[in-house]
Amino acid sequence: METIGTILQWLIFLGMAFTSILASVLLITRKNPIHSALFLILNFLCVAVIYLLLYSQFIAIIQVLVYAGAIVMLIVFVIMLLDLEEELRSRLKLFYSKVIGSVLAVLFLFGLIYGLVATSPTGKTGSYTAEKMSANVKAVGEALFNQYLFPFEVVSILLVVAIIGAVILSKRKLS
Amino acid sequence: MLVEYFTIGIFIAIAIAFACFAVLASHFLGQRKPSAIKQAPYECGMTTVGSSFRRVPIKYYIIAMLFLIFDIEVVFLYPWAVVFKEYRVFAFVSMAVFLGILILAYIYIWKKGALEWE
Amino acid sequence: MILPPVPPAFYLVLSGILFTIGVIGALTRRNAIVVFMCIELMLNSVNLSFITFSRFLQSIEGVLFAFFIIAVAAAEAAVGLAIFVMLYRSKETINVDEVNLLKW
Repeated sequence: METIGTILQWLIFLGMAFTSILASVLLITRKNPIHSALFLILNFLCVAVIYLLLYSQFIAIIQVLVYAGAIVMLIVFVIMLLDLEEELRSRLKLFYSKVIGSVLAVLFLFGLIYGLVATSPTGKTGSYTAEKMSANVKAVGEALFNQYLFPFEVVSILLVVAIIGAVILSKRKLS
Repeated sequence: MLVEYFTIGIFIAIAIAFACFAVLASHFLGQRKPSAIKQAPYECGMTTVGSSFRRVPIKYYIIAMLFLIFDIEVVFLYPWAVVFKEYRVFAFVSMAVFLGILILAYIYIWKKGALEWE
Repeated sequence: MILPPVPPAFYLVLSGILFTIGVIGALTRRNAIVVFMCIELMLNSVNLSFITFSRFLQSIEGVLFAFFIIAVAAAEAAVGLAIFVMLYRSKETINVDEVNLLKW
């Protein structure tokens, strides 16, 4: 039973990892921004399944609700609002700078992987074992109302600022 | 714990397999005789006018943005509701402060007329 | 032969790959909305590594960080996309290389 669970874990992890990498590669290569937004949703859903593998149901639910639901919906609305056709050819010759930027980003990835392989991640182990994390929402709620009460209240101010900023920007009449 | 999700996984797999089966079956079993009239875009029997891609008014954006912000607010209510029985008055007061600040934004957008659909 | 469960390094490598793809997209694309989507991708991959550390160090902090990051990402989406809409109304383009008024 244990080995079947482990094999399933590996299968789900590898499947979701490859699908999410494929979706994000397609995201940055499609010309039509609507297609990019759909691949972004696919990527978010795959990452939500990986959160479930990590015993973090609450973040998985929020990922689907907020990221894949609300934020991508807003992006799709803006794409429809702006009537974006496919990207036109740039007058600027940016090819070399794009290649250099991509090569630097890949070097950054190799640096990350090297750091990961060279030193195993360390840190103090906390008290939230897998059994305790299976009541995930309760654990999050308790931490939210004990240590993280002040950040929680500050989030409301952040949301107020976001609402006011977005309404002012989008209700303004152009002179 | 993963075993509990296994049944959901089976359900999703069957749903995807059924959808693929329906599409592929109609693709292979059905017969098609395409002609110029059948390929034309259909708009209530009329000839189509203009492009299918047209710009949407900005009021849709404002409603979607407000939905996003208040969606975040509801997400914060969820862990609050789970631990409410243990923290009672403390949880009530802290959530009242949180909602009170957000109600300021709600009053602002109401006065600004962002909720009106003119 | 006994198969070990998926080690944390695999999740972290996946997070790094997604982050790098997001960086490449943000550097090479010209459409501001696609650049924005790449930034969301990067935020999401950082969330993944937070959750991984939270799981394997058995602490709840990573989960709360990811939670707050999602709230900040939503606020950022609301304001950022409103800025793109304003940009399009005043300049008729959202290609990032044509918006160079502050560049010298």
